[in-house]
Amino acid sequence: MSSTAAVAAHGAHAEPHALGFWRTYIFSEDHKMIGKQFLFMALFMMSIGGLMAMLMRWELAWPETQVPGFGWVPEPFMYEGAIPPNTYNAMFTMHATIMIFFVVMPILVGCFGNFLIPLMIGARDMAFPKLNMLSFWTGAVAGVILLSSFFVTGGPAAAGWTSYAPLSAVPIYTGVDWGQNLWCISIIVLGASSLMGSINYITTIINMRTKGMYFFRLPLTIWSLFITAILLLLALPVLTTAIALLLFDRLGGTHFFLPAGGGEPLLWQHLFWFFGHPEVYIMILPAMGIASEVIATFSRKPIFGYRAMAYAMIAIAGLSWIVWGHHMFVSGMDPVLGSGFMITTMIIGVPSAIKTFNWLGTLYKGNIHYTAAMMNALAFVAMFVIGGMSGIWMACTPVDMYIHDTYFIVAHIHYVLFGGSLFGVFAGITYWYPKMFGRMMNETLGKIHFWITFVSFNCTFFPMHILGMAGHMRRIYNPQQYDFLKPIIPINEFISISAFVLGAAQFLLLANIIWSYFKGAKATENPWYANTLEWTTPSPPPHGNWPGPVPIVYRGPYEYSSPGVAEDYLPQSQLLEHSTGAANKRTH
Amino acid sequence: MAPRMTASTAKILPLVAPIRRIRSSGSSAGGDQSERPFISSAMLAIMMLIASEMMLFSGLIGSFLIFRLQAAFWPPPALPRLPIAVTWVNTFVLLSSALTMTLALRAAHRSRQRLLRRYLLATLALGVTFLAVQGSEWVRLVAHGLKLSSGVYGGTFYLLIGCHGAHVTAGVIWLACVAMAAMGGRYNARNAGGIEVCAVYWYFVCAVWPLLFGLVYLM
Amino acid sequence: MLEHMYFPHDISTFGPQIDRLFLLIFWLVLVVWTAVMITMVVFMIRYRARPGRKAEYIEGNSRLEIIWTTATAAILIVLAFMSRSTWADIKEHGPPGDVFYAVTGKQFNWEFTYPGPDGKLGTKDDIIVENELHVPVNKVVRIDLTSKDVIHSFYLPNMRLRQDAVPGRIIHVWFEATETGQYEIPCSQLCGFGHSGMKGNLTVQSQEDFDKWLKDLYANPPAPPSATEGASPK
Ligand code: HEA
Ligand code: HEA
Ligand code: CUA
Ligand SMILES: [Cu+2]
Repeated sequence: MSSTAAVAAHGAHAEPHALGFWRTYIFSEDHKMIGKQFLFMALFMMSIGGLMAMLMRWELAWPETQVPGFGWVPEPFMYEGAIPPNTYNAMFTMHATIMIFFVVMPILVGCFGNFLIPLMIGARDMAFPKLNMLSFWTGAVAGVILLSSFFVTGGPAAAGWTSYAPLSAVPIYTGVDWGQNLWCISIIVLGASSLMGSINYITTIINMRTKGMYFFRLPLTIWSLFITAILLLLALPVLTTAIALLLFDRLGGTHFFLPAGGGEPLLWQHLFWFFGHPEVYIMILPAMGIASEVIATFSRKPIFGYRAMAYAMIAIAGLSWIVWGHHMFVSGMDPVLGSGFMITTMIIGVPSAIKTFNWLGTLYKGNIHYTAAMMNALAFVAMFVIGGMSGIWMACTPVDMYIHDTYFIVAHIHYVLFGGSLFGVFAGITYWYPKMFGRMMNETLGKIHFWITFVSFNCTFFPMHILGMAGHMRRIYNPQQYDFLKPIIPINEFISISAFVLGAAQFLLLANIIWSYFKGAKATENPWYANTLEWTTPSPPPHGNWPGPVPIVYRGPYEYSSPGVAEDYLPQSQLLEHSTGAANKRTH
Repeated sequence: MAPRMTASTAKILPLVAPIRRIRSSGSSAGGDQSERPFISSAMLAIMMLIASEMMLFSGLIGSFLIFRLQAAFWPPPALPRLPIAVTWVNTFVLLSSALTMTLALRAAHRSRQRLLRRYLLATLALGVTFLAVQGSEWVRLVAHGLKLSSGVYGGTFYLLIGCHGAHVTAGVIWLACVAMAAMGGRYNARNAGGIEVCAVYWYFVCAVWPLLFGLVYLM
Repeated sequence: MLEHMYFPHDISTFGPQIDRLFLLIFWLVLVVWTAVMITMVVFMIRYRARPGRKAEYIEGNSRLEIIWTTATAAILIVLAFMSRSTWADIKEHGPPGDVFYAVTGKQFNWEFTYPGPDGKLGTKDDIIVENELHVPVNKVVRIDLTSKDVIHSFYLPNMRLRQDAVPGRIIHVWFEATETGQYEIPCSQLCGFGHSGMKGNLTVQSQEDFDKWLKDLYANPPAPPSATEGASPK
């Protein structure tokens, strides 16, 4: 596209070290560095979100007692280390906001999206590198704004991550003033960051694919990120609208959500969930893409039903716009409308089923290698199925009337978001670490981390279904205030102990990432013998991604164990000179 | 379209400048895109931005409709009416700016520098007029007691119209940049991408207005 | 503890319908889940990597694809229609009411409004009692639910009933208790720092006990709740 003159003019940028420290590591326009920046930001935020979860678990098992080691926290945040109710509310609000907006989205979309899209489609960088850099730094600013709300009087937002109005719309209702405003501002700023990111992703995927990389030769990871970017592009503005209305209610004297001035409290819920449901698929689709990638690679088999997998993701994305009412069955919405939302919600299980069965089909007659990445990807499938299936109870309106706002929902959230998205993240990190940092991660440590996480995760979140069935409400800081919940106190204690193990286990991941960076075995170009383009360049890839020309693509991404060749893999970019032509022509 | 726009957009819109080729290392065997994309990256980006903006306006309009359809009286009895006649005129001002923008594009595609400048300036002037009239009407409305806090009637009015106004303002600033570049003779038939992208945005801003006008003023 | 790892004791007329649906989904999901897991584990063991072996090159199978898509779609749509009829029974065509109350949520108490001696709601002699709801057994209770400030949620675990109380709206709910006893009425929608612990008491009584209690109430009505409690918007 650009003229030869431009190439010559900017030729100097080709040398990797010509840019200096600031342009290379901080204000980098290189998609690989930006991807890593998103990763580190998210890991940092995860430790804060995780710490909030640990404190919550302490409170739920041993309410109103001192959290060991937290006696120093000043009032009114804690009283001699004991957590008061408002702090507890602030904690789950910040826990969820951080985990969703600053951990899962930055890693799945920010980190993997940035790092992988150009490498996997055969481009030298994103379409708009400067916009890309700006996207990261806008996101970082949003993070700082959110964290700063811990230090304002009144503390951080405490109306839940869903911030239902009117609770969130009037400061005296929660006792939180600037905390909630900063929450709103932070999410609006983050929305701008996502907008820039998604424009970049979509443009890059449409316009910058290498020769031969047709849409139906894209790796499923890229398909998933493409669809996710479209969802982000269209969903976040709606959240921005809602939050703008909320901010005006808080600061501008309007009454959009306050019935006293003719406002409508349910409007918030409609706007929020119209964004919120596509949002949950934003958080699962990239993980599905990653799992498909890893499962195909380590089964040494083509993904079963490649096109069905791509179409299923499109179907999920399309249906996600018409199910938002399933969060509002008991909100006072018209019950007939509720039935409509129930039916659409049930139907959205169908494309998920297609994906699940295709993953199983991929394992069938494979030659499965159990690397740490593969174990995490398989755990993703198993845990997503559990989380998805609990969604079926909740989709059923009469049953949801009973389990809404109980720990059944909390169990669902964590099975899909930790069991789904985070296991997908773990699989992705272990799979692409060699490409990102040029060194192999420690497999043994990776497997130990996997097993402890897998077991303690299930011990933490599975019993929550039982709590929910017993009627245990969510967002209560002291379940012992209720007689009907007293008999299940031991379950809460068991959950909390498991949660501490789960939290501690994440140090193993952190340790592995840091240790391997310095001490890991040097990674070769293609350590997993995988087919996709990112494995055709040195690890880590140089500035400009390929030292030589960008590879040309001759076939789909999952030609593992092809009968046309002796090896059990066949890179997308490999031209078969002496073949009969069948392996070359195969397009999927 | 694609190859024409690079240099100019790079100046005006540094953030959406298409990526520079980093290296071609002499070989032409690589997969570096040699074919022109169907649609230029900058154009794609602006269309994506507009899609996103449409969702933003849908959220606002949806909220407005909910309030409007639930309200027993609209506008509430004590509050001032909106100035319909002036706004009709203003609507024509904005819509005619879309026309001058089209003429500017035509001029650019024919490399008619003087015409191009004239039409760009006309578009700019119409945009500024629209904003000025809107602004003065707002001042009058505030003076007559229609405030942001005047129930959902006042709230939605200022929010919807204000949101559109902000978009027009952004468009005017962008137009001014383009006009400045046109003064320097940057655009011609082979290099009109910078104007095309700006025009698409301006059309969007103009197209949203009749919808808002119909809903907020006339309905 | 084991007996508590299940639903709380059900005392409503529609509760059994909901529990049955829950169990139906439970068995459905258990079967599908077991099948998926067994298949997965069998494949994982059978097809683990062994030296010298090559995986079989299978790209997919459209027949299978169609079968499992239609099968899941059919199951889920049937389930949706079964749930739909239960939902309609509960929400759309409930029985006519015997007893009528108004319930108002506020930070952080429930206000129960009983009709005064004239037997009518919305008249001057209505009596407001905080946090104490008394209902006669085997009578259809119909409630006008609303809120003074933020959204609360009226939750009767033993009745499988939950309904948000939304300021500015009046929402009707009904239930019919089948057993006498004392139960809790937690608030189940986050409503501020006092959300945890916001609860009322439900007393289901025989008609005679209930009448006696009502007579006592009419004889010494409680002072109306203080206006300072419960924050209200500016
Ligand atoms: C990654 C995130 C994610 C994902 C993927 C999902 C997926 C689904 N969710 Fe979930 N959901 C959340 C995150 C997510 N959810 C969160 C965060 C909340 C709470 C928000 C809050 O209030 O704070 C929530 C809340 C929530 C509710 C509201 C509950 C309430 O508040 O009362 C409902 C109700 O219908 C629901 C349903 C579903 C359904 C039907 C799916 C489906 O997509 C699942 C489909 C998958 C399967 C069904 C499994 C695989 C299928 C098979 C193996 C085939 C065979 C199966 C059958 C025949 C049953 N979700
Ligand atoms: C991606 C999303 C995500 C993730 C990963 C998690 C992770 C965890 N969550 Fe979270 N959670 C949500 C999303 C998520 N949650 C949402 C959306 C809600 C609803 C909020 C609302 O109601 O508004 C919620 C609510 C929620 C509740 C309900 C609160 C309530 O309703 O009262 C609970 C209670 O147990 C809980 C627990 C946990 C635990 C123990 C973890 C653990 O898995 C965390 C383990 C991870 C770590 C600990 C990080 C690693 C830590 C370090 C590197 C530092 C180590 C620190 C120590 C060991 C102290 N979560
Ligand atoms: Cu009232 Cu929670
Ligand atoms: Cu949802």
